[in-house]
Amino acid sequence: MTAESRPLLALDGVCVAYRHHEVVHDVSLEVASGEVVALIGPSGAGKSSLLRAINFLEPPSKGRVLLEGAEVGGSRRSLDALRRDVGMVFQSFNLFPHLTALQNVMLAPVHTLGVPPAQARERAMQQLTHVGLADHAHVKPGKCSGGQQQRIAIARALAMEPKVMLFDEPTSALDPELGAEVLATMRSLAAEGMTMVVVTHEMHFAEDVADRVVFMADGRIVEQNAAGKLMRDPQHPRTQRFLNAVRNR
Amino acid sequence: MSTILSELAAGIPQTIGITLASFVVAAVLGLPLAVLRRSELWLVRLPAVVVVEVLRAVPPIVWLFLIYYSLGSTDQVRLTTLQAAVIGLGLIYAAHLSEAYRAGLDAVPVGQWEATRALALPRAQTYARVILPQALVVVVPPMATFAIALLKDSAIASVIGATDITFHAVQLTQQDLNGLGNFTVAGLLYIALGVPFALVARAADRVLSRRLVGV
Repeated sequence: MTAESRPLLALDGVCVAYRHHEVVHDVSLEVASGEVVALIGPSGAGKSSLLRAINFLEPPSKGRVLLEGAEVGGSRRSLDALRRDVGMVFQSFNLFPHLTALQNVMLAPVHTLGVPPAQARERAMQQLTHVGLADHAHVKPGKCSGGQQQRIAIARALAMEPKVMLFDEPTSALDPELGAEVLATMRSLAAEGMTMVVVTHEMHFAEDVADRVVFMADGRIVEQNAAGKLMRDPQHPRTQRFLNAVRNR
Repeated sequence: MSTILSELAAGIPQTIGITLASFVVAAVLGLPLAVLRRSELWLVRLPAVVVVEVLRAVPPIVWLFLIYYSLGSTDQVRLTTLQAAVIGLGLIYAAHLSEAYRAGLDAVPVGQWEATRALALPRAQTYARVILPQALVVVVPPMATFAIALLKDSAIASVIGATDITFHAVQLTQQDLNGLGNFTVAGLLYIALGVPFALVARAADRVLSRRLVGV
């Protein structure tokens, strides 16, 4: 494989198990630089577990994770190197409640990357501006709407200048209107060429924004295809059943 | 009454000294005990569990005798009564406080830890900037309770000869046999000394909670 065609991120035979109960079975997936991949499927399909295995929040019980061709090892140093390059956005935001939006965004650049505080502050302001929340820089998360909190969380992840962004059901905790502003932010990120892996129940987002949609069920990838193709013309009966159920809601 | 008060007042510095010094020892040593006790490795966790449980299982008065009359009375080491009391009460309350710290650490949502891991935040910064500020809100009220309990337990130090309020009350009673008056005044003094702890704790609790919710 040449350097140009090498995937930015690759999962090779990844399994995830809680205690002895395996929830992701032998999944392999490649994500090219600049690609947006949506992971869809029923609850309990293992989508979130798979996503969390990418940055080892759930260390894979088997299989390999490769970033730019380099295998991520089990040492703290190797994990930290990976996590610096992989941004994560959580379903429940997980902002630091005692810090302002700006401090939330600055924290890791200063203490993980060692960016001088003045420079980190400037960059954090840029990121907050980017997500449309420059005016909320000095407000604590508790005073922000859920949509605003999630956009601050996106800014916090972007401040590390990651190569890949992982989104774990980023709008599931939000009402539709607030979810829409988060999706708009994600759309513009995708348009800027950010590589993204998104676990989502937002079928419109998957169809419109993702380059590729991966359908998972029972801990396995059932089917994957270009977004439009999979959403309009699913091949596997399990995918058809899921998409019909979601659309007829 | 006022003569009793002036006699017993001579013990106030020693009572406050033992209480504050022991509390500082406990507050500092309690934290590593709590962190070790939450380790995923049983080899790390077990010694911390044993230390905490043994410290809490033996009566404070036995600890003070043990420290003062054995460890503190060898040829190499000679402890003052104050030092022995601070070591003993400091260690016992470190065990108590470690449990309060542990509850505080457990109260920080798992998502906060996950966010620090996803950001590759170093462990020391994770505790200092993210976890402890949030755990503190939960820890302050029980800490105040322990501070007041420690103030009262400091009276035990009088049995090894620390010249605190209780020591003076005992001495005075041996002279004038006015146990009722002397120990009533001693009790009132302990109540009075406990009030500032409660007030400081309440104020700290208010400030910390407000900081966490944000303005």
